[in-house]
Amino acid sequence: MNNEAFAQLVDAHYAPLYRFALSLARNAPDAGDLVQQTFFIWATKGDGIRELSKAKSWLFTTLYREFLRGRRRDSRSTSIEDLPPGEKDLAAEDVDRVSKMDAALVMTALQTVDETFRAPLTLFYIEDMSYQEIAAALEVPIGTVMSRLSRGKSQLRTALERVESSSGKVLPFPLSKGASAS
Amino acid sequence: MNTQEAKFILSAYRPSGGDTGDAAFVDALRMAGEDPALGAWLSRSRAHDAAVAGKLREINPPQGLRAAILAGARVSGSPRRSRSVWGWAAGLAAAAAVAFTVYTVRTPAASPSGSAALASFAIDDMLHAKHGSSGEASSALVAALQVEGAKMPAAASIDFDRLRDTGCRTLNFAGHDVMEVCFARGGTEFHFYMTRRDGPVGSSVERGPSFLAQAAGAAAVWSDGRFNYALASRAGVEAVRRLL
Repeated sequence: MNNEAFAQLVDAHYAPLYRFALSLARNAPDAGDLVQQTFFIWATKGDGIRELSKAKSWLFTTLYREFLRGRRRDSRSTSIEDLPPGEKDLAAEDVDRVSKMDAALVMTALQTVDETFRAPLTLFYIEDMSYQEIAAALEVPIGTVMSRLSRGKSQLRTALERVESSSGKVLPFPLSKGASAS
Repeated sequence: MNTQEAKFILSAYRPSGGDTGDAAFVDALRMAGEDPALGAWLSRSRAHDAAVAGKLREINPPQGLRAAILAGARVSGSPRRSRSVWGWAAGLAAAAAVAFTVYTVRTPAASPSGSAALASFAIDDMLHAKHGSSGEASSALVAALQVEGAKMPAAASIDFDRLRDTGCRTLNFAGHDVMEVCFARGGTEFHFYMTRRDGPVGSSVERGPSFLAQAAGAAAVWSDGRFNYALASRAGVEAVRRLL
Protein backbone atom coordinates (compact mmCIF):
# COMPACT_ATOMS: atom_id res chain seq x y z
CA MET A 1 0.00 0.00 0.00
CA ASN A 2 1.46 3.35 -0.95
CA ASN A 3 1.69 6.31 1.38
CA GLU A 4 -1.34 8.10 0.02
CA ALA A 5 -3.52 5.01 0.31
CA PHE A 6 -2.31 4.44 3.84
CA ALA A 7 -3.11 8.04 4.77
CA GLN A 8 -6.60 7.60 3.31
CA LEU A 9 -7.07 4.45 5.36
CA VAL A 10 -6.00 6.32 8.49
CA ASP A 11 -8.31 9.24 7.71
CA ALA A 12 -11.25 6.91 7.17
CA HIS A 13 -10.87 4.92 10.36
CA TYR A 14 -8.70 6.51 13.00
CA ALA A 15 -11.43 8.58 14.65
CA PRO A 16 -13.94 5.73 15.15
CA LEU A 17 -11.09 3.45 16.17
CA TYR A 18 -10.06 6.00 18.77
CA ARG A 19 -13.62 6.15 20.14
CA PHE A 20 -13.71 2.38 20.31
CA ALA A 21 -10.33 2.33 22.05
CA LEU A 22 -11.40 5.06 24.46
CA SER A 23 -14.44 3.06 25.50
CA LEU A 24 -12.23 0.02 26.12
CA ALA A 25 -9.15 1.56 27.68
CA ARG A 26 -11.06 4.28 29.54
CA ASN A 27 -8.27 6.82 29.23
CA ALA A 28 -7.03 8.89 26.32
CA PRO A 29 -3.31 8.02 26.33
CA ASP A 30 -3.93 4.28 26.27
CA ALA A 31 -6.63 4.74 23.63
CA GLY A 32 -4.19 6.69 21.47
CA ASP A 33 -1.57 3.99 21.90
CA LEU A 34 -4.05 1.28 20.91
CA VAL A 35 -5.00 3.11 17.73
CA GLN A 36 -1.42 3.75 16.80
CA GLN A 37 -0.46 0.17 17.51
CA THR A 38 -3.32 -1.06 15.34
CA PHE A 39 -2.19 0.97 12.36
CA PHE A 40 1.39 -0.05 12.97
CA ILE A 41 0.34 -3.70 12.70
CA TRP A 42 -1.53 -2.89 9.51
CA ALA A 43 1.55 -1.24 8.10
CA THR A 44 3.67 -4.26 8.90
CA LYS A 45 1.22 -7.13 8.40
CA GLY A 46 -2.22 -6.02 7.36
CA ASP A 47 -1.05 -4.86 4.00
CA GLY A 48 -1.72 -8.42 2.95
CA ILE A 49 -5.40 -7.59 3.08
CA ARG A 50 -5.95 -6.36 -0.42
CA GLU A 51 -9.68 -5.94 -0.14
CA LEU A 52 -10.17 -2.55 1.46
CA SER A 53 -13.79 -3.44 2.14
CA LYS A 54 -12.44 -5.78 4.80
CA ALA A 55 -10.02 -3.27 6.25
CA LYS A 56 -12.49 -1.79 8.71
CA SER A 57 -13.36 -5.12 10.27
CA TRP A 58 -9.67 -6.08 10.35
CA LEU A 59 -8.72 -2.86 12.12
CA PHE A 60 -11.41 -3.17 14.78
CA THR A 61 -10.61 -6.83 15.34
CA THR A 62 -6.94 -6.07 15.66
CA LEU A 63 -7.50 -3.20 18.06
CA TYR A 64 -9.71 -5.38 20.21
CA ARG A 65 -7.13 -8.17 20.21
CA GLU A 66 -4.44 -5.70 21.17
CA PHE A 67 -6.59 -4.42 23.99
CA LEU A 68 -7.18 -7.94 25.29
CA ARG A 69 -3.52 -8.79 24.90
CA GLY A 70 -2.45 -5.66 26.70
CA ARG A 71 -4.30 -6.30 29.87
CA ARG A 72 -3.92 -9.26 32.07
CA ARG A 73 -6.56 -11.85 31.32
CA ASP A 74 -6.59 -13.24 34.79
CA SER A 75 -9.30 -14.85 36.86
CA ARG A 76 -11.12 -11.57 37.07
CA SER A 77 -12.20 -11.93 33.48
CA THR A 78 -15.94 -12.14 33.51
CA SER A 79 -17.90 -14.48 31.36
CA ILE A 80 -21.37 -13.64 30.20
CA GLU A 81 -22.84 -16.34 32.39
CA ASP A 82 -21.39 -14.75 35.51
CA LEU A 83 -22.97 -11.40 34.99
CA PRO A 84 -26.22 -10.25 36.53
CA PRO A 85 -29.17 -9.79 34.22
CA GLY A 86 -30.00 -6.39 32.81
CA GLU A 87 -31.73 -4.21 35.30
CA LYS A 88 -33.69 -1.56 33.57
CA ASP A 89 -36.18 -1.27 30.75
CA LEU A 90 -36.37 1.78 28.51
CA ALA A 91 -38.44 4.77 29.60
CA ALA A 92 -39.31 7.92 27.72
CA GLU A 93 -37.12 10.08 29.95
CA ASP A 94 -34.08 8.00 29.04
CA VAL A 95 -34.16 9.46 25.54
CA ASP A 96 -34.40 13.03 26.81
CA ARG A 97 -31.62 12.42 29.27
CA VAL A 98 -29.13 11.43 26.58
CA SER A 99 -30.11 14.29 24.31
CA LYS A 100 -29.33 16.81 27.03
CA MET A 101 -26.05 15.25 28.13
CA ASP A 102 -22.57 16.26 27.13
CA ALA A 103 -20.81 13.80 24.82
CA ALA A 104 -18.00 13.27 27.33
CA LEU A 105 -20.54 12.28 29.97
CA VAL A 106 -22.11 9.75 27.63
CA MET A 107 -18.65 8.28 27.02
CA THR A 108 -18.04 8.20 30.77
CA ALA A 109 -21.26 6.26 31.25
CA LEU A 110 -20.33 3.85 28.48
CA GLN A 111 -16.95 3.26 30.10
CA THR A 112 -18.65 2.02 33.24
CA VAL A 113 -20.51 -0.73 31.40
CA ASP A 114 -18.97 -4.15 31.89
CA GLU A 115 -16.24 -4.75 29.38
CA THR A 116 -18.00 -7.81 28.00
CA PHE A 117 -20.88 -5.65 26.87
CA ARG A 118 -18.95 -2.47 26.15
CA ALA A 119 -17.09 -3.66 23.07
CA PRO A 120 -20.14 -4.74 21.04
CA LEU A 121 -22.12 -1.78 22.29
CA THR A 122 -19.47 0.66 21.12
CA LEU A 123 -19.24 -0.89 17.67
CA PHE A 124 -23.03 -0.80 17.42
CA TYR A 125 -23.21 2.88 18.30
CA ILE A 126 -20.05 4.35 16.85
CA GLU A 127 -19.66 2.37 13.67
CA ASP A 128 -23.29 1.45 13.08
CA MET A 129 -22.11 -2.14 12.72
CA SER A 130 -24.67 -4.87 12.25
CA TYR A 131 -24.76 -7.75 14.70
CA GLN A 132 -23.05 -9.93 12.07
CA GLU A 133 -20.25 -7.39 11.61
CA ILE A 134 -19.79 -7.10 15.37
CA ALA A 135 -19.64 -10.87 15.67
CA ALA A 136 -16.95 -10.97 13.00
CA ALA A 137 -14.96 -8.10 14.50
CA LEU A 138 -14.99 -9.48 18.04
CA GLU A 139 -14.83 -13.11 16.93
CA VAL A 140 -17.84 -14.23 18.94
CA PRO A 141 -21.05 -16.01 17.87
CA ILE A 142 -23.98 -13.97 16.56
CA GLY A 143 -26.25 -15.05 19.42
CA THR A 144 -23.68 -13.84 21.90
CA VAL A 145 -23.59 -10.43 20.24
CA MET A 146 -27.36 -10.09 20.45
CA SER A 147 -27.31 -11.04 24.09
CA ARG A 148 -24.52 -8.62 24.89
CA LEU A 149 -26.21 -5.77 23.04
CA SER A 150 -29.47 -6.32 24.88
CA ARG A 151 -27.88 -6.50 28.31
CA GLY A 152 -25.30 -3.85 27.55
CA LYS A 153 -27.97 -1.34 26.59
CA SER A 154 -29.73 -1.97 29.85
CA GLN A 155 -26.52 -1.39 31.79
CA LEU A 156 -25.82 1.73 29.78
CA ARG A 157 -29.21 3.24 30.58
CA THR A 158 -28.57 2.69 34.26
CA ALA A 159 -25.08 4.16 33.91
CA LEU A 160 -26.38 7.22 32.06
CA GLU A 161 -28.87 7.89 34.81
CA ARG A 162 -26.18 7.48 37.46
CA VAL A 163 -23.66 9.68 35.68
CA GLU A 164 -26.20 12.39 35.06
CA SER A 165 -27.33 12.47 38.66
CA SER A 166 -23.75 12.69 39.92
CA SER A 167 -22.68 15.44 37.54
CA GLY A 168 -22.97 19.08 38.41
CA LYS A 169 -26.23 20.79 37.64
CA VAL A 170 -26.13 23.97 35.60
CA LEU A 171 -28.03 26.71 37.32
CA PRO A 172 -29.15 29.94 35.69
CA PHE A 173 -26.64 32.66 36.48
CA PRO A 174 -28.37 35.75 37.93
CA LEU A 175 -27.53 38.98 36.14
CA SER A 176 -26.25 41.74 38.37
CA LYS A 177 -27.95 45.10 38.36
CA GLY A 178 -27.25 47.05 35.25
CA ALA A 179 -25.89 44.04 33.40
CA SER A 180 -27.62 42.74 30.36
CA ALA A 181 -27.50 39.49 28.51
CA SER A 182 -25.73 39.61 25.19
CA MET B 1 -42.21 -15.26 20.25
CA ASN B 2 -43.24 -13.22 23.28
CA THR B 3 -42.63 -9.53 23.96
CA GLN B 4 -39.39 -10.08 25.85
CA GLU B 5 -37.99 -12.20 23.07
CA ALA B 6 -38.96 -9.56 20.53
CA LYS B 7 -37.22 -6.86 22.58
CA PHE B 8 -34.14 -9.03 22.85
CA ILE B 9 -33.91 -9.35 19.08
CA LEU B 10 -34.80 -5.75 18.36
CA SER B 11 -32.00 -4.57 20.65
CA ALA B 12 -29.67 -5.44 17.80
CA TYR B 13 -31.74 -3.51 15.24
CA ARG B 14 -29.71 -0.49 14.18
CA PRO B 15 -31.35 2.94 14.40
CA SER B 16 -30.00 3.79 10.96
CA GLY B 17 -32.37 1.27 9.42
CA GLY B 18 -29.44 -0.67 8.05
CA ASP B 19 -31.05 -3.94 9.05
CA THR B 20 -34.18 -3.47 6.99
CA GLY B 21 -34.78 -6.68 5.14
CA ASP B 22 -32.68 -8.79 7.49
CA ALA B 23 -34.70 -11.96 8.05
CA ALA B 24 -33.61 -12.15 11.68
CA PHE B 25 -35.76 -9.12 12.51
CA VAL B 26 -38.85 -9.82 10.40
CA ASP B 27 -40.97 -11.55 13.02
CA ALA B 28 -40.02 -9.16 15.80
CA LEU B 29 -40.76 -6.13 13.61
CA ARG B 30 -44.10 -7.58 12.59
CA MET B 31 -44.94 -8.10 16.23
CA ALA B 32 -43.97 -4.50 17.01
CA GLY B 33 -46.34 -3.37 14.27
CA GLU B 34 -49.19 -5.28 15.78
CA ASP B 35 -48.54 -4.55 19.46
CA PRO B 36 -48.82 -0.80 20.25
CA ALA B 37 -46.85 -1.12 23.48
CA LEU B 38 -44.03 -2.96 21.79
CA GLY B 39 -44.17 -0.51 18.89
CA ALA B 40 -43.82 2.42 21.27
CA TRP B 41 -40.92 0.69 22.98
CA LEU B 42 -39.20 0.20 19.63
CA SER B 43 -39.63 3.88 18.79
CA ARG B 44 -38.09 4.90 22.10
CA SER B 45 -35.32 2.38 21.70
CA ARG B 46 -34.36 3.65 18.27
CA ALA B 47 -34.50 7.26 19.43
CA HIS B 48 -32.31 6.40 22.41
CA ASP B 49 -29.84 4.53 20.23
CA ALA B 50 -29.65 7.41 17.79
CA ALA B 51 -29.06 9.89 20.61
CA VAL B 52 -26.29 7.79 22.17
CA ALA B 53 -24.63 7.19 18.80
CA GLY B 54 -24.75 10.89 17.99
CA LYS B 55 -23.14 11.85 21.28
CA LEU B 56 -20.37 9.27 21.02
CA ARG B 57 -19.50 10.40 17.52
CA GLU B 58 -18.85 13.88 18.88
CA ILE B 59 -15.78 12.56 20.69
CA ASN B 60 -12.69 13.64 18.76
CA PRO B 61 -9.26 12.04 18.82
CA PRO B 62 -6.54 14.07 20.52
CA GLN B 63 -4.40 16.51 18.62
CA GLY B 64 -1.50 14.93 16.86
CA LEU B 65 -2.73 11.35 16.89
CA ARG B 66 -3.12 11.21 13.13
CA ALA B 67 0.36 12.57 12.53
CA ALA B 68 1.79 10.10 15.02
CA ILE B 69 0.05 7.18 13.31
CA LEU B 70 1.38 8.17 9.92
CA ALA B 71 4.85 8.67 11.27
CA GLY B 72 4.97 5.62 13.50
CA ALA B 73 3.82 3.22 10.83
CA ARG B 74 6.69 4.31 8.66
CA VAL B 75 9.48 3.88 11.12
CA SER B 76 10.91 0.82 9.48
CA GLY B 77 12.20 -1.99 11.58
CA SER B 78 10.70 -0.68 14.80
CA PRO B 79 10.25 -3.49 17.28
CA ARG B 80 7.16 -3.72 19.42
CA ARG B 81 7.54 -0.71 21.58
CA SER B 82 6.64 -0.08 25.11
CA ARG B 83 4.35 2.84 25.66
CA SER B 84 7.20 5.01 26.82
CA VAL B 85 8.82 4.94 23.42
CA TRP B 86 5.78 4.44 21.26
CA GLY B 87 3.12 6.62 22.78
CA TRP B 88 1.16 8.61 20.24
CA ALA B 89 2.59 11.82 21.61
CA ALA B 90 6.08 10.47 21.21
CA GLY B 91 5.12 9.55 17.70
CA LEU B 92 4.92 13.23 16.90
CA ALA B 93 8.66 13.32 17.14
CA ALA B 94 8.83 10.45 14.71
CA ALA B 95 6.51 12.41 12.46
CA ALA B 96 9.17 15.01 12.19
CA ALA B 97 11.61 12.47 10.86
CA VAL B 98 9.43 11.05 8.15
CA ALA B 99 6.61 13.39 7.26
CA PHE B 100 8.61 15.40 4.78
CA THR B 101 9.80 12.29 3.04
CA VAL B 102 6.25 11.19 2.67
CA TYR B 103 4.32 14.28 1.84
CA THR B 104 6.41 17.25 1.07
CA VAL B 105 6.06 18.59 -2.42
CA ARG B 106 8.88 21.00 -1.86
CA THR B 107 11.60 20.76 0.73
CA PRO B 108 13.37 24.07 0.51
CA ALA B 109 15.62 23.70 3.49
CA ALA B 110 17.65 21.19 5.38
CA SER B 111 16.90 20.31 9.00
CA PRO B 112 13.21 19.83 8.33
CA SER B 113 12.29 17.86 11.42
CA GLY B 114 10.86 20.70 13.47
CA SER B 115 9.17 22.20 10.43
CA ALA B 116 7.55 18.90 9.51
CA ALA B 117 6.28 18.29 13.01
CA LEU B 118 4.76 21.75 13.31
CA ALA B 119 3.28 21.60 9.81
CA SER B 120 1.77 18.18 10.45
CA PHE B 121 0.36 19.39 13.72
CA ALA B 122 -1.18 22.45 12.05
CA ILE B 123 -2.78 20.49 9.21
CA ASP B 124 -4.10 17.84 11.54
CA ASP B 125 -5.61 20.46 13.83
CA MET B 126 -7.10 22.35 10.90
CA LEU B 127 -8.77 19.22 9.58
CA HIS B 128 -9.95 17.58 12.74
CA ALA B 129 -10.49 20.05 15.56
CA LYS B 130 -13.15 22.54 16.49
CA HIS B 131 -11.96 26.10 16.18
CA GLY B 132 -12.84 29.40 17.69
CA SER B 133 -11.23 32.05 19.83
CA SER B 134 -12.47 34.90 21.93
CA GLY B 135 -10.98 38.00 23.44
CA GLU B 136 -9.97 41.43 22.28
CA ALA B 137 -6.38 40.52 21.46
CA SER B 138 -7.46 37.55 19.40
CA SER B 139 -10.03 39.64 17.52
CA ALA B 140 -7.43 42.29 16.75
CA LEU B 141 -5.06 39.66 15.38
CA VAL B 142 -7.78 38.18 13.20
CA ALA B 143 -8.68 41.62 11.90
CA ALA B 144 -5.05 42.27 10.98
CA LEU B 145 -4.75 38.93 9.26
CA GLN B 146 -7.86 39.51 7.17
CA VAL B 147 -6.59 42.70 5.56
CA GLU B 148 -6.03 42.04 1.86
CA GLY B 149 -2.33 42.05 1.04
CA ALA B 150 -1.21 42.15 4.67
CA LYS B 151 1.86 40.12 5.57
CA MET B 152 1.82 37.60 8.36
CA PRO B 153 2.49 39.14 11.76
CA ALA B 154 5.93 39.10 13.31
CA ALA B 155 7.17 38.88 16.88
CA ALA B 156 7.02 42.63 17.45
CA SER B 157 3.27 42.68 16.94
CA ILE B 158 2.43 39.61 19.01
CA ASP B 159 1.76 39.57 22.73
CA PHE B 160 1.73 35.81 23.23
CA ASP B 161 0.79 35.85 26.89
CA ARG B 162 -2.01 38.35 26.42
CA LEU B 163 -3.46 36.36 23.54
CA ARG B 164 -3.47 33.21 25.64
CA ASP B 165 -4.78 34.86 28.77
CA THR B 166 -7.63 36.66 27.06
CA GLY B 167 -9.22 33.72 25.28
CA CYS B 168 -7.23 32.96 22.16
CA ARG B 169 -7.56 29.28 21.32
CA THR B 170 -4.62 27.54 22.94
CA LEU B 171 -3.49 24.07 21.95
CA ASN B 172 -1.05 21.74 23.60
CA PHE B 173 1.74 20.42 21.44
CA ALA B 174 4.18 18.18 23.30
CA GLY B 175 3.50 20.06 26.50
CA HIS B 176 3.83 23.55 25.05
CA ASP B 177 1.27 26.19 24.20
CA VAL B 178 0.41 26.80 20.59
CA MET B 179 -1.92 29.68 19.80
CA GLU B 180 -4.33 29.47 16.88
CA VAL B 181 -6.69 31.85 15.14
CA CYS B 182 -8.83 31.33 12.05
CA PHE B 183 -9.29 34.01 9.45
CA ALA B 184 -10.52 34.43 5.89
CA ARG B 185 -8.74 36.09 3.04
CA GLY B 186 -10.41 36.43 -0.34
CA GLY B 187 -13.08 33.93 0.64
CA THR B 188 -10.55 31.29 1.65
CA GLU B 189 -10.20 30.09 5.23
CA PHE B 190 -6.78 29.97 6.85
CA HIS B 191 -5.48 28.90 10.25
CA PHE B 192 -2.55 30.74 11.79
CA TYR B 193 -0.50 29.04 14.54
CA MET B 194 2.32 30.37 16.65
CA THR B 195 4.46 28.88 19.36
CA ARG B 196 7.55 30.05 21.18
CA ARG B 197 10.96 29.18 19.80
CA ASP B 198 11.73 27.42 23.06
CA GLY B 199 8.62 25.31 22.54
CA PRO B 200 8.00 21.86 21.07
CA VAL B 201 9.97 22.19 17.86
CA GLY B 202 12.60 24.54 19.27
CA SER B 203 14.93 26.33 16.92
CA SER B 204 14.90 23.67 14.23
CA VAL B 205 12.31 25.61 12.23
CA GLU B 206 14.10 27.65 9.61
CA ARG B 207 13.51 31.34 9.19
CA GLY B 208 12.40 30.98 5.59
CA PRO B 209 9.15 29.18 4.87
CA SER B 210 8.93 25.43 4.33
CA PHE B 211 5.82 23.92 2.84
CA LEU B 212 3.99 20.70 3.53
CA ALA B 213 1.25 19.55 1.18
CA GLN B 214 -1.18 16.77 1.90
CA ALA B 215 -4.23 15.67 -0.01
CA ALA B 216 -6.59 17.45 2.37
CA GLY B 217 -4.61 20.61 3.00
CA ALA B 218 -1.28 22.38 3.13
CA ALA B 219 0.79 24.33 5.60
CA ALA B 220 3.76 26.65 5.62
CA VAL B 221 6.07 27.00 8.61
CA TRP B 222 8.62 29.69 9.33
CA SER B 223 10.18 31.44 12.28
CA ASP B 224 11.60 34.68 13.58
CA GLY B 225 13.59 35.52 16.64
CA ARG B 226 10.93 34.58 19.16
CA PHE B 227 8.29 32.44 17.53
CA ASN B 228 7.71 29.56 15.16
CA TYR B 229 4.69 30.01 12.92
CA ALA B 230 2.45 27.84 10.79
CA LEU B 231 -0.21 28.81 8.31
CA ALA B 232 -2.59 26.08 7.13
CA SER B 233 -5.42 25.94 4.63
CA ARG B 234 -7.50 23.36 2.87
CA ALA B 235 -7.06 25.42 -0.30
CA GLY B 236 -3.59 24.02 -0.93
CA VAL B 237 0.00 25.08 -0.92
CA GLU B 238 -0.35 27.87 -3.49
CA ALA B 239 -3.05 29.57 -1.47
CA VAL B 240 -0.80 29.44 1.57
CA ARG B 241 2.23 30.66 -0.33
CA ARG B 242 0.34 33.72 -1.59
CA LEU B 243 -0.12 35.04 1.93
CA LEU B 244 3.57 34.95 2.88
